[in-house]
Amino acid sequence: MESDQLKSNLAPIVKVENFHLHYYTRRGVYKALNGVNLEIRKGEVLGIAGESGCGKSTLGRAIMGLIPRNAAVVDGRILINGRDYLKPLKDYYKNTKKFKPSKNADVLKKVNNEMSKIRGQEISMVFQEPMTTLNPLLQVGYQIAEVLLYHSPGLLASRRLSRSRAKKEDTKALVKILNENGPNEKFREYLKEKNIMGLEDQILAIWRRKDLHDLKKEQMIEKLCCEPINSFAKNYLETIEKENKLPNFSKIPIFGRIVKRELIKEGYKKASEFLGLLGIPNSDKMVYMYPHELSGGQRQRIVIATAMINSPQLVILDEPTSALDVTIQAQILELIKELKESINSSYMFISHDLSVLAEVSDRIAIMYAGQVVEVGNKDAIFDQPKHPYTQMLMEAIPTIEAHELKGIKGEVPDMRNPPKGCMFRDRCPYAMPICAEKRPDLIKVGEDHYVSCFLYEGGKS
Amino acid sequence: MSKSNAKPDRFRELKLSLQVFFSNKSAVAGLIIFLFYFFDALILQFFPQILPFKHPYQLTPNYANPIPQPPSFKHPFGTTYPGVDLLNAIIKSIRLDFWLSLEIVIPGAIIGLVVGIIATYFGGWIDEVLMRVTDIVFSIPYLVLAIAIGYVLGRTLQSMMIALILVWWPLYARYARSVTLETKELTFIEAARAAGTSNLKIMFKHILPNSLPPVFVQISLDLGTIMLTISALAFIGFLPAANLPELGYLTSLGYNYIQTAPWAMIIPGLFIVLFALAVNLMGDGFRDVIDPRRRSEL
Amino acid sequence: MLLFIPTLLGLTVIVFVLIHIGGTNKLLAMYLSPRLTGAARQQIIAELDQKFHFNDPIYIQYFYWLAQIFQGNWGITNTPIFSGPVTQAIELFFPNTLMLTIFAAILIWLISIPLGVHTAVNRDKPSDNVIRVGSLTFYAMPWYLIGIILIIIFAVWLKILPINGTVNPSLVADLSWYHNGISYPTHILLIDALIHGNLVVAGNAFLHLIMPSVTLALGVMAALVRLMRGTMLETLDQDFVNFARAKGVPEKVVINLHAKNNALLPVITNFGYLVAGLLGGVVVIEDVFSYPGIGMWLTDAMINNDMGGIMGGTLLFGIILVVTSLALDLIYAKIDPRIRY
Ligand SMILES: Nc1ncnc2c1ncn2[C@@H]1O[C@H](COP(=O)(O)OP(=O)(O)OP(=O)(O)O)[C@@H](O)[C@H]1O
Ligand code: SF4
Ligand SMILES: [Mg+2]
Repeated sequence: MESDQLKSNLAPIVKVENFHLHYYTRRGVYKALNGVNLEIRKGEVLGIAGESGCGKSTLGRAIMGLIPRNAAVVDGRILINGRDYLKPLKDYYKNTKKFKPSKNADVLKKVNNEMSKIRGQEISMVFQEPMTTLNPLLQVGYQIAEVLLYHSPGLLASRRLSRSRAKKEDTKALVKILNENGPNEKFREYLKEKNIMGLEDQILAIWRRKDLHDLKKEQMIEKLCCEPINSFAKNYLETIEKENKLPNFSKIPIFGRIVKRELIKEGYKKASEFLGLLGIPNSDKMVYMYPHELSGGQRQRIVIATAMINSPQLVILDEPTSALDVTIQAQILELIKELKESINSSYMFISHDLSVLAEVSDRIAIMYAGQVVEVGNKDAIFDQPKHPYTQMLMEAIPTIEAHELKGIKGEVPDMRNPPKGCMFRDRCPYAMPICAEKRPDLIKVGEDHYVSCFLYEGGKS
Repeated sequence: MSKSNAKPDRFRELKLSLQVFFSNKSAVAGLIIFLFYFFDALILQFFPQILPFKHPYQLTPNYANPIPQPPSFKHPFGTTYPGVDLLNAIIKSIRLDFWLSLEIVIPGAIIGLVVGIIATYFGGWIDEVLMRVTDIVFSIPYLVLAIAIGYVLGRTLQSMMIALILVWWPLYARYARSVTLETKELTFIEAARAAGTSNLKIMFKHILPNSLPPVFVQISLDLGTIMLTISALAFIGFLPAANLPELGYLTSLGYNYIQTAPWAMIIPGLFIVLFALAVNLMGDGFRDVIDPRRRSEL
Repeated sequence: MLLFIPTLLGLTVIVFVLIHIGGTNKLLAMYLSPRLTGAARQQIIAELDQKFHFNDPIYIQYFYWLAQIFQGNWGITNTPIFSGPVTQAIELFFPNTLMLTIFAAILIWLISIPLGVHTAVNRDKPSDNVIRVGSLTFYAMPWYLIGIILIIIFAVWLKILPINGTVNPSLVADLSWYHNGISYPTHILLIDALIHGNLVVAGNAFLHLIMPSVTLALGVMAALVRLMRGTMLETLDQDFVNFARAKGVPEKVVINLHAKNNALLPVITNFGYLVAGLLGGVVVIEDVFSYPGIGMWLTDAMINNDMGGIMGGTLLFGIILVVTSLALDLIYAKIDPRIRY
């Protein structure tokens, strides 16, 4: 029935329906998510707020399929572009008498394999802690390039081949077209005609840079030609360009490494371009650095670049700024806002901090104890909060200044033995007898505005 | 978080600890085997009269029939050269090996712990010197160092003990150091220091109790390693005085009969393996109990 | 990195102290043939006094002693298997030990790292349980028992592998390059035989190498598999591994590139202990298989109370261990970009 209520003219990329997830531990079953209903639509930023431990990260990871082996998918589903990847996990849970993490891990492995095809491509995620998100043993350029290597090897091959196919007069002509009327149809037609489509993103990356003089840019673009290539590399790169997947022979130990090396090298180039686009200075040197040589803010930018480089449809940002200090936070937020403008992705932005969400989100969902208790347009949530919990949160924000969600009286229920009725009852000033009986459903209270609270049931629905 | 909660919480924690340990079947099996060895050692040490041994602290050879005999009704485990009944000999040997292991591991752990805590707490050059000293001791394979020390002190049971203590304490010093480095940062120690508590008191009232559980786990694991080392030393002939009921020595007695009487080596060897296996399983169980991550995992 | 120099010096101090605890007489025993008597003996003592300065304070004596060690004057050893200068004994026995340990180390590395990774990735599966029980059992076994079980199986029952030595003596009885039990040019029979093109002897030497090195490998592998499994499990929980998955990197690459290399770091730091264990194992195993290396020489010296052999062996084992640790540090620095010397 929720699906009826959450109707919208914008098509959702991700649809979470009545999703339940429990962690099995020695101290009991921790019921982290208890019927989450949510959708993320094309091109929007959905903010998620809630107290620590309410299951925000768990939800994000569940969408990515990155849950630990002791996490049981108890009920509900998560549709990504209409497909429910976690179904095998739920089936395992429903069909087993006693939940065993090792069996769950088997199913999870299969889910992982399926999802690795869309991760980095359709959905990607930025974790909370930039200090531990990057592999300390690999250069950051490699870590960015990897996404392209496994999802768009064709792009990398085409970039490399185009540079060897293009002649001096081609790049000159392209500069002229750009100077006359920018990157329009004619530009693309020319590229297509000469079979040098791989130059497009390279040229535009230079063209769009703001830190260079025009003359310098022209010079750089003109240089994107006539690169020699040996016939061996040319052969396999052409295969890769055509099929846009790593050929089977790339699995042969040493030979495969040679093939991959060429692609990775190109990936470093693309990574450096992309970092440049994000306004990161010295990006050509930075790709050869190791994570420990970078500051927290720089690392987080690398992580964001990695998540974004393949223009995924949805990026989940799990508190991307909370581990950073205030000025860096502002810069990262700025970066995310810019990305929102330039790359047409959707974002799920998780944060403790309502003022951050106010800045970036289109819609906001408020979570409490593993449920979405209110969701609606940013303005509706801030101006007319309906759920008692949301109202208390809003009162707790004194000024525009950053403020964390705290200072609300009472404690979160014990999620090992959650109460039967409304989870917020113990802290709710309006609690009624019915609130102890059953859980309220999400109901519509306004234009695209939903709340789960008995105060509004029977009202307008 | 209020005070009245503290007691039941601790009780719950203890209950959970026991639950975690006893949910690990192999750890329980290890504990049971360990207890068998322990009672064997206890009885022979303190109440040898309840067992029908004439010489509880010596092997009883039978030169009339020195060749190893296969297991039989009279000798359930068979005999080894020179006519020693293996069952008897093993029961006697367990006593010696068990106490010897304890006598090595406990002093080693105490010395190491004290040195390690002092080093971390004071840091600076004291720490530096300690780390170099342990480095140096570690630079000689412990079996070899034990042989060299044994040569200097004369090859007896006592010198083996001393040699192994000397070889073992740096391990604990290192270990205590890494554990205490973590606890040192903990806020309550900062608080104790801010409140003006003396260094000695902080070290022994705050840091020591926190490093004890992991060291305790290490001790239980090391009991096995030490028994293996003792038996290896005995096997290569460290103890010249024959007739000592010691498992490694007992195995070496059967060496010349390996082709005709394999049980003479295998059976006493099995009892070494069993002990080392038991303490390892038990130690792994203890480790699950004190490791917060494993503790909450399924 | 340069810390290995004080460690090496500290090692010599330990050996020096051990030698001098017994007083000058003990030192003399290391440099004096017991067969010498009378005036000849007195004269050699006088010469030794010139070299070692017995009447100087002990810390001065240390430096004179160290100078002698540097000059290769390690004293003499006198045991049933070898009597003569310690350095000659080392020249004779060390290559065999080297061959044994290298052979074992290759086995260890090739088998235990993949096994550790496999068990961690397939945690709680039947294969994990089998490998865990197996490695724990070998871990709990004294080295000599592993050797003896192998002997009983492969030499006594199956009769396919030889029990002791490096070669069947009848095969080398009339080989000219094999004089006095010493082969040339490397002193490693297997390699020398290959150099001389004698495949029969080489094959036989190889057969003799199998059991000791497998025994040695099994003992260390047990520890290494356990260690690798533990660190791998920890690494698999790390954020960056999950991030690699979030990027859509295939699971095989996540495990073999991202997780494995990181899991190897703590393993390499702990490798020093394993090497120490391995060298201890060499002593026991060479004894079990009568394999003529420094371990066998050392046990022989111990039983015969031969100071030259014991102290020479101790010093040599110490040097080997320090050098290996140094090599490990270098490898570590190569893998981990956070460490630069
Ligand atoms: N692997 C796990 N095993 C057991 N419990 C877990 C596990 N991961 C998370 N939890 C529990 O699930 C609950 C929700 O965790 P989650 O990380 O989703 O919260 P969060 O809303 O992201 O909090 P924060 O704002 O602090 O990041 C927490 O109480 C946590 O203890
Ligand atoms: S359902 Fe009842 S208890 Fe829950 S928030 Fe609404 S009024 Fe409060
Ligand atoms: Mg979180």
